[in-house]
Amino acid sequence: MFSFMNPGKSKPAKKGLKIIIVGCGKVGTTLVEQLSKEGHDIIIIDKNAKKVQEIANIYDIMGIVGNGASYSVQMDAGIEDTDLIISVTESDELNLLCCTVAKQVGDCAAIARVRTPDYSKEAGYLREKLGLAMIINPELEAAREAARILFLPSALEVNSFAHGQAELIKFAIPAGNILDGLQIAELRGKIETNILVCGVERDGEVHIPSGDFILQQGDVISVVASRKIAREFLSHIGFETKQVKNTMIIGGGKAAYYLAKNLLDVGIDVKIIESNKERCEELSILLPKAIIINGDGTDQELLREEGLPYVESFVPLTGIDEENILLTLHTRQVSKAKVITKINRINFKDVIAKLDLGSVIYPRYITSEAIIAYVRARQASLDSNIETLYHMFDHRVEAIEFRVYEESAVTNIPLKDLALKKDLLFCFINRNGAIILPNGQDSIQVGDTVMVVTTHTGFNDLRDILA
Amino acid sequence: MNSSIIRFVLGYVLKMEAVLMLLPCIVAVLYREQTGFAYLLVAAVSMAFGTLMTIKKPKSHVFYLKEGCVATALSWIFLSFFGALPFWISGEIPSLIDALFETVSGFTTTGSSILADVEALSHCALFWRSFTHWIGGMGVLVFLLAVIPLSGGSHINLMRAESPGPSVGKLVPKIKYTAQILYIIYFGMTIVEIVLLLISRMPAFDAITLSFGTAGTGGFGIKGDSLASYTALQQWIVTIFMILFGVNFNAYYLILFRKFKKALQMEEVRAYFAIIFVATAIITGSLVGGNMQFFDALRHAAFQVGSIITTTGYATVNFDAWSQTCRAILVLLMFVGACAGSTGGGIKVSRFIVMVKTMIKELNSYIHPKSVKKIKMDDKPIEHEVVRSINVYFITFMIIFVASVIAISFEGHDLVTNFTAIAATINNIGPGLSMVGPDCNFGFFSDFSKLVIIFDMLAGRLELFPLLILFHPAIWKELFTQKITMRRKKKF
Repeated sequence: MFSFMNPGKSKPAKKGLKIIIVGCGKVGTTLVEQLSKEGHDIIIIDKNAKKVQEIANIYDIMGIVGNGASYSVQMDAGIEDTDLIISVTESDELNLLCCTVAKQVGDCAAIARVRTPDYSKEAGYLREKLGLAMIINPELEAAREAARILFLPSALEVNSFAHGQAELIKFAIPAGNILDGLQIAELRGKIETNILVCGVERDGEVHIPSGDFILQQGDVISVVASRKIAREFLSHIGFETKQVKNTMIIGGGKAAYYLAKNLLDVGIDVKIIESNKERCEELSILLPKAIIINGDGTDQELLREEGLPYVESFVPLTGIDEENILLTLHTRQVSKAKVITKINRINFKDVIAKLDLGSVIYPRYITSEAIIAYVRARQASLDSNIETLYHMFDHRVEAIEFRVYEESAVTNIPLKDLALKKDLLFCFINRNGAIILPNGQDSIQVGDTVMVVTTHTGFNDLRDILA
Repeated sequence: MNSSIIRFVLGYVLKMEAVLMLLPCIVAVLYREQTGFAYLLVAAVSMAFGTLMTIKKPKSHVFYLKEGCVATALSWIFLSFFGALPFWISGEIPSLIDALFETVSGFTTTGSSILADVEALSHCALFWRSFTHWIGGMGVLVFLLAVIPLSGGSHINLMRAESPGPSVGKLVPKIKYTAQILYIIYFGMTIVEIVLLLISRMPAFDAITLSFGTAGTGGFGIKGDSLASYTALQQWIVTIFMILFGVNFNAYYLILFRKFKKALQMEEVRAYFAIIFVATAIITGSLVGGNMQFFDALRHAAFQVGSIITTTGYATVNFDAWSQTCRAILVLLMFVGACAGSTGGGIKVSRFIVMVKTMIKELNSYIHPKSVKKIKMDDKPIEHEVVRSINVYFITFMIIFVASVIAISFEGHDLVTNFTAIAATINNIGPGLSMVGPDCNFGFFSDFSKLVIIFDMLAGRLELFPLLILFHPAIWKELFTQKITMRRKKKF
């Protein structure tokens, strides 16, 4: 009742960070959108005056036209008192230079996007030597996400938490499934597994279900469980849990390379169709175990010849979203393959959501999520910190993993006694690598990581869960 | 078009005017004047209207350029209308058109008056007149942006529609803080001027009202002879502050953050001071030639030049009686105006810089027809779009100017009167020459001519296009059809 008088509970005033974003491409724009929504002071730098103008018209930010790696431009943007610089221009070299210059001039954290495979192997080394906070590689992250789905093809989406110990799996409930018509509270009784349903999307609405929620066919549900149990659960409810045996990739870009490498490493056969002869030759050197086909990936005859109807999975990774979507729709007609669609731009999200595409990955979101997790962690107090952050169900739900460093208002208290905000759910507590799906008697201890799912946005600190 | 957000903004503007109108009420209490009740009444009415308009929250906060322009133009019209009511209700200005003229002249920081005897007005009326200058100087919507929590980034469109100058930049990333910084500088400089005038032994009421007039570059005096009866020191203080308020406020921001070098390098500010220096020198020379003491000549010249170029419109002498050279220079200065991003009006120094540079570039292209050269300002290339919009602005300005001169010429006054009356109002200055000279007023014009001048004052203050867009049929069509479709939706 008197909590507002208690200084221990009062939250520190949240002041936005000062962030410079260099490059207004797809990722840059997504970052501006997300970070300005979270109340940070943002300055964008791009060489293209028109782009800067367009973005400055839509969002409450300041734009500067110029080369972001130049000292004088950075001074114009006020690099000296900037907290964070994020460089996401087209060129890896420019991004690295930009961050290096910024590190010399100002005392700020720096994040660079580095996509070329040549550097990505050395990402750790570069990061350490140049003193960067983070190196992001959207193509690699997209490939990893695609690979995770191909390891568990019955899921629509697979995200990993707690260093891969726990997984968040999204899938649709088919007609006649055991889950159809089941109340969540009955779940543990009927199926003896330790899983937690943390989100349900039905008719465009997202629910964080309580015990009396009844599942129906057609619901898209997100389930949290430790990695091993997740597979047991899925096979128990009659889903295929074996990873795919082979895959066909259209387009031989960076993402295709990363994905193929990931898949080949675990013994999945890969076939890549690429139209550029020289790129094919490069790929055949880089990926000796893969089958590289030189041809037009949108040619139906070629696809049939290469066995599209019999392939187990299919990933169109051309640079053009429309082509990817059409290839997906075509494949779903002619084969039973698991299909993953990569979408770079998202101008027509509503339309895309209505199409039956199956799994969709958005590289720009994957990157911006990692950066937002970092930014929020910087804003947070010292007693807890954000480890991972995912947006689920079209940004309407956030899944956040906090690491608990110190005693605070939420530690050592049984969960049932905490006054929590509405629409919020504890998914798991990771204690020394053991995944606990908590009940009311459990409590949070120092050293745990805790995952929370919520429809609220903007949590920086574990204490934000309190009402 | 998103008409609900426009309604919402208008409601806020009215509420704010109601609060601001309480200040003249306080003045009325201090001087025990009956006219204060008129202000209290109008404050209550506009508060009621404002509250009604803001009860329903807008469905969407989306704000495009056209919404920004329409909201700005309508805000200024509403503001002027409600601001004029107290003059009319209290009977101090019996004609509604006259009251509207006086208020528009106040809010647009013009300073042209229709009153023959200013000193007959009550203190609270005099205060309100000067206070409208202060409100109008930096802009009403900029103030709104600084105080009310409108979320979203597209509100730059509101600021863009209201702020003087060809391009609007933010000082800091968030528009709210930009607006706050601008108002802090504005407020701080006004206070400094009031204090200095008080130290020079000016009565408090005079010091406050004159400072409001200077800060907004308005020009309403509270004496019949404007500033002629004040001491030389007081006139110098006002001169310096007039010139300072005509400087681009970005320069003060840079100085505030100790970036002196950058502030000194601003091309527009340099040109502005150069023009003032040259004009003052010529006029001083001409006055000394006419047997005036050097220091008196310098003081009068500097005051009048500062007053005209910043579009303030105070006067220490009747400059209409000066030599033809001086009159010509002052009329030309009317068009130049102050810096962009200041509180002054006119075409703005930065536009002239760009136009002159375009002209030089055109000349060069006759010598080297295939040469490529970008126009630069402050060492940054100017986009073709900006150059184009400046040219269009100038042409539009001239068309409105010429049309207005013709419109008021039917009354049969001489050309100098008509020409300078429009020049002085569309540039938001105040006094012109001949029959509208510094010791005359605009009262003799017909109602029609007054309406033309009211339009010119608003157009000049809002930089033409936000006001002109109100006359675009598409705007009305959109406002109208949307309401119908909304009603239809409700029926089903």
